[in-house]
Amino acid sequence: MSRRLIHPLYQFGNPQLRVFRPGWFLSLVRPGKEQPPDTVQFRVPLEMTKFDVRNYLQKIYNVPVVAVRTRIQFGSNKKRNHLNQRVKHPDYKVAYVQLGEGQTFEFPNLFPEKEGRSAEGSMEEIQEKFMEDEKQRQKSDPRRGGVTEWFGL
Amino acid sequence: MAAVMARLSVRQLSCMRGPALSANVNTNICDSTAKYPPILPSPTAKSRSAKRRRVAEFFDELRGLSVKDKLTSLTKFQRMKYVVYPQTFALNADRWYQHFTKTAYISGLPNKYSKSSHSIQDAAESGSQTTFSQIDDALFGEIRTLICDSLLQENCQVIKGRAFLYRALEHSIGPFLRNVASGLACILAKQSPLLRSSTFDSDPQVNFYWIRGKRNIPCGHRRGRPEPLRFQIDDRPHSQLRIQQQLPEFVPLGSEVSVEVPVVQHLPDRLPLFRRQYENSIYAGAKVDDPCCYGHTQFHLVPDHLRRDGVNKPKSGDHVEMAVRANAIASLFAWTGAQAMYQGFWSAEDVDKPFASQAIITDGQHFSFFCYQLNTLALTDEADANNTRKNLCWGTEGLRLYENINGNQVIGLNDDVIRLLVQFLLNGA
Repeated sequence: MSRRLIHPLYQFGNPQLRVFRPGWFLSLVRPGKEQPPDTVQFRVPLEMTKFDVRNYLQKIYNVPVVAVRTRIQFGSNKKRNHLNQRVKHPDYKVAYVQLGEGQTFEFPNLFPEKEGRSAEGSMEEIQEKFMEDEKQRQKSDPRRGGVTEWFGL
Repeated sequence: MAAVMARLSVRQLSCMRGPALSANVNTNICDSTAKYPPILPSPTAKSRSAKRRRVAEFFDELRGLSVKDKLTSLTKFQRMKYVVYPQTFALNADRWYQHFTKTAYISGLPNKYSKSSHSIQDAAESGSQTTFSQIDDALFGEIRTLICDSLLQENCQVIKGRAFLYRALEHSIGPFLRNVASGLACILAKQSPLLRSSTFDSDPQVNFYWIRGKRNIPCGHRRGRPEPLRFQIDDRPHSQLRIQQQLPEFVPLGSEVSVEVPVVQHLPDRLPLFRRQYENSIYAGAKVDDPCCYGHTQFHLVPDHLRRDGVNKPKSGDHVEMAVRANAIASLFAWTGAQAMYQGFWSAEDVDKPFASQAIITDGQHFSFFCYQLNTLALTDEADANNTRKNLCWGTEGLRLYENINGNQVIGLNDDVIRLLVQFLLNGA
């Protein structure tokens, strides 16, 4: 089961029918190495087992799960802080879920390239213009040849 | 500046003088064909052409060796290799295995069997010489009794109570299959001289090691360099029959088969398949000197997690069929490939005649029949570049041998399955 189960205290008069959800969060991630089309990759909490993952997806989201494989990814312990102490990146568990019933999944492109210019006089167009002007203003004077602003007369 | 000019002029002079001088000395150079040794890359340099030359020289050396030395040399080089398990849990393994072994899967049996199974009666009436028509009713009755007896032996006499056994199939169906296989081979030896001189291996070992495809090494000091993908199968069939003559081919070597070999673009890690390093071995169930060096039929028992009666888990029928198909493709490729390598063929010396083997995979009740024809061993990237041959595998779905066993009676024994079993064992007779 999940780490902490804090259910709201039942008060007299509350509805009897309550729904208990697990306190787990799965994140669907883009696979680092390309996977077959029927395989979906998740980052799941460490204490979740493959059976938990299968039940989670089947019962809550009605996803046909055929097989689940998991591994634990070691978080790097190489980083040091300003006191030269080791800083550990947390470990996490990766679950590879194979979908049944011939279903396939492709991770969506979340940041597609915009094509064409936005419409005349629209809010986006004004915003873009403003951003361009601002960028121009931030640029240093090319005539100074990279010499900082505070240097000189 | 003057020095540069001087050097230039000297070089120009020498260039001008060179051909002119040689023309004077050797006037009939155009008439005689010059006999120079061919220009070869250095054998010791660190270059691609030098590597290629070393490989070519090694291959030439291999071609002259005996079979034993060939096998030793081809399996000597140990690196991490993908271990292919014929009886696997993995989903869609059959497509992947077809890709690894360059096998096209054809649903249904080859013409030899499908034709005769349709027209058994016609053949018997017309008296044509199919192998099956040689079997008379008495012999068939004997075979039927044998199968019934061994079924009842395991299901009624041996199993008294229903105690839970780990890997129960091996304890109940294993002996049944052994009785049926060896008994059938014994009975049919009267009909077939091939079976009379055959060897029956119980619980044999079959290994095969091969190279297919290429990948770029992702990390380490050899990063970015191409490396071939190596595969190893270590198979343990339940039993197998080996014979002294080769089984006849199912289709001729050059014939066109329209079925395509599926191509999987991903690395085998995604199946998932794991890499290990240990001794590479190629073994067909007997040593190279054995006179029974050709395969006839393998018998496999499905693993316990693939039982269709749903003792463990309700699995879908498709999943079981897929796993059985994958098992047949992997096991038969390993066995047939090992036979071909025992005859001295390998990826640079491709087979000149197709090698054939058969397999029967069962869980006691359902029998699946598979035929395999090995057309090519040239599976490495270099050898496969313009190789149009492909290996072929025919197979059936699981056919039910009997409906149920009630008391001391086998209910609904399917004669067609028994006939097919007999036909399989009489192949080549």
